[in-house]
Amino acid sequence: MGAGSLIALTIAAIAFSGIAILVAKVVTKATTNKQKGEAYECGVVTTGPSWIQFNVGYYLFALVFLIFDVELIFLFPWAVVVKEIGWLALIEIVIFFFILFTGFLYAHKKGALKWK
Amino acid sequence: MIFEFYMTASQILFYVIAAFILGCGLLAMTTRKIFRSAIWLLFSLVGVSALYFWLQVEFIAAVQIVVYVGGIVVLIIFSVFLTQQSGTEMPKAPVKRTIASVFAVLFGFAFTYLLIYKNNFISGEGTFDAGISKIGNQMLTTGEQGFALPFEAVSILLLAAMIGCIVIAMKTSTNQAKGENEQAANTNKK
Repeated sequence: MGAGSLIALTIAAIAFSGIAILVAKVVTKATTNKQKGEAYECGVVTTGPSWIQFNVGYYLFALVFLIFDVELIFLFPWAVVVKEIGWLALIEIVIFFFILFTGFLYAHKKGALKWK
Repeated sequence: MIFEFYMTASQILFYVIAAFILGCGLLAMTTRKIFRSAIWLLFSLVGVSALYFWLQVEFIAAVQIVVYVGGIVVLIIFSVFLTQQSGTEMPKAPVKRTIASVFAVLFGFAFTYLLIYKNNFISGEGTFDAGISKIGNQMLTTGEQGFALPFEAVSILLLAAMIGCIVIAMKTSTNQAKGENEQAANTNKK
């Protein structure tokens, strides 16, 4: 299982879907009309542009998410060796979590996670 | 003379990944809609993580996907949506600027190439082990090669980052709310 098999898999995957699409294109008789361009069964037709400005609240959530996302990264190597190291690892991760949890408490206290 | 053209499968894979990264990066630069630019950046970063997988540093590849693709690009997309012009096409760049940026790119490439070419790379002995269990062991032990204290310090760094972004983002949002209130008051007066 090397790079060669990965390339073979990629080519096979592209061929698998590509041939199916190609055959469908060749065999069927395609017509185009305006209805076909619409989003299929997605409610009423939109009026005005759908590119609206987002609420600033989303950004705050994204920022807090990013911090815990980075925290998650440190959980991967911890989870692999926690059994090997034992109690010490558990204590260390509890300290790590506690410090970040105070940040979460701060966000909660400041009302950053409240939807306005 | 017979020109021997020979590449191993691994090399082919590298060039495919590199072409993917560069192609997506180029599209991110040249597309005229800023939202599409963000999406092309996402694909480019996925390609970089593929390159890490190719180098067999799986943990770094996972970090690349979780933090950059899952975090930073989402943040960029949100900030694009915060602007009012996420859907409109940007004006075409003037020719002068295009020529200048091409020169800047060429200069950057030449400089980087020169640096890499001049550098004496020393091939190390033994095998390179960047396994996740080794990282975990070093991260959690306190001995000679342990990084337990930096690991805990990272949490304080993250805490500082979180408090900082809450303070800054909350400030702007309260300012905006104030502005909206004033606007409402003004319209009421009218």
